[in-house]
Amino acid sequence: MLSLPAVDVPLLASVLTGFLAEELRASGLSRYVLGLSGGLDSAVAAVLGVRAVGRDKVTCLALPGPSSSLESLAHAREVAELLGVPLGVVDLGPAAETLAGILGCRQDWVRFGNLMARLRMVALFDAARRDGALVLGTSNKSEILLGYSTLFGDQAASVHPLGDVWKTHVFALGEYLGVPAVILRKPPTADLWPGQTDAGELGFDYLEADPVLYYHHDQGLSEEELCARGFRKDLVSRVLATYRRNRFKWRPTVIARVSASCINVDRILPRNPRP
Amino acid sequence: MAGNVFRSEKLKVALAQIATCPGQISANLETHLGAIEQARQTQADLVVFPELSVSGYLLGHGVLELAYTLDDPRLTPLREASRHLGILVGLPLREEHGGISNAAVLMDGGNVVGVHRKLYLPTYGMFDEGRYFVPGRELSPLSWRGRQVGVLICEDAWHPSCASVLVNRGAELLIIVAGGPSEVGGDAFPQGMKRWHWIVGATAITTVTPTFFANRCGWEEGILFSGGSWAVDARGRTLGGPASATEPGVVTAEVDLAVARHHRTLAPIAQAERWELWQAEAERNRAFLARC
Repeated sequence: MLSLPAVDVPLLASVLTGFLAEELRASGLSRYVLGLSGGLDSAVAAVLGVRAVGRDKVTCLALPGPSSSLESLAHAREVAELLGVPLGVVDLGPAAETLAGILGCRQDWVRFGNLMARLRMVALFDAARRDGALVLGTSNKSEILLGYSTLFGDQAASVHPLGDVWKTHVFALGEYLGVPAVILRKPPTADLWPGQTDAGELGFDYLEADPVLYYHHDQGLSEEELCARGFRKDLVSRVLATYRRNRFKWRPTVIARVSASCINVDRILPRNPRP
Repeated sequence: MAGNVFRSEKLKVALAQIATCPGQISANLETHLGAIEQARQTQADLVVFPELSVSGYLLGHGVLELAYTLDDPRLTPLREASRHLGILVGLPLREEHGGISNAAVLMDGGNVVGVHRKLYLPTYGMFDEGRYFVPGRELSPLSWRGRQVGVLICEDAWHPSCASVLVNRGAELLIIVAGGPSEVGGDAFPQGMKRWHWIVGATAITTVTPTFFANRCGWEEGILFSGGSWAVDARGRTLGGPASATEPGVVTAEVDLAVARHHRTLAPIAQAERWELWQAEAERNRAFLARC
């Protein structure tokens, strides 16, 4: 069976730290803000952020909603304490209930989950505006490829240090960076409704999916070739169906080109120019 | 003759491994001036900067507003600094008859004294240079202080013909300037750094010519560059570096060009090049294209 190629974790941690330092410098802003969910991805992103720019320049916010677990908040506190960073808690419950009532989506867990994810985005970008900060994203490559995210919700960030890192390697990074074992061991979840887990929704877990995605997305093996190399057909079909179905999320907005100077088509320009 | 062989012809070259930011011109210029000062303090004869060092590498269509002419006043601080030592910088060069080249510009004594325009513009994978730049048309060493200096820009060095031609045309040393991106693999060195290590070593060994490699480090627009600036003699032995993959710094290396010439006498590999094979291949290609 083919497996995901190894990555040198200390080097990966080192270069991602450099990435976060440079992005903040190039932006001219003064700090990062990120949402600490109590899960692995945000814990790793927070450690990298603190290593990159120092604990005084990272704002961590816990953003619980009406159905968030108390355990998640406790884990977020544990990470913040480990890093020596204060944890701001913004209770999004009342806003979520009010807006869900207006929109009539309280009984639809997916709509309500998306609403929560987008309210977290609102809170993070508001803090970023207030503090002159960049929003430090927590999405990893596996999630992004599978589209397992909320458009303009958890996916929305100024930078994604883990956006090209397989979830399998995020586990390794977490272990290397000293993320508490309780967070490393618990099943990944967006914590948008009680009992929700990524694997429960997707129908497979990341450790299974990552090699399939790698050999298809990176190495170009077809569905038939993947099966011929020993991957289970039901797993391959399910992973690749999700990979294709949600691809629109990779480029969430398409601009209709009607001139010869279309942004990001005819004019691809540096993000942070300065005389 | 024997006395001439061993008369020292030493040259000290500083490799300025820097991190630049696309479009942040003043900050990039300051970085250059800092590295030039460091090089001066080591009594270097020449300081070499990476590809597109002045502007940053991932400019995209930003080349339209960031391209320089050789007399651009924005380059005055660099020209002035070259009164003390030779300076090789990388920049997008606005061509007189239209088009922008990816150029390495050699300054000395307050003037521009030579230019190499990148011949091979990678346009595959993450690269899109063919979209923004026009390719150079000439390959010959730059004359500098009585020396013949062969300059290659990044992808040029991936085509061994370039180094062979330069040495055949009299280049006494080769300088490779790069903006070499990298990935993280399964070992402690970025993959790009390893690729360049092979290329630089092979270039020096196969041409029997001292080779100096200045690469950038750091990040641009989410792309990692992997440093590893390095100098080797005509037999591939380290003269300076390799620098770290991730940290900026100035690597200084001294080479004795008389010794290099002696190496080419002992191992006349470059002189043995069978150009008639190249010519036959060029003619075969020409015939093939004529049939298309």
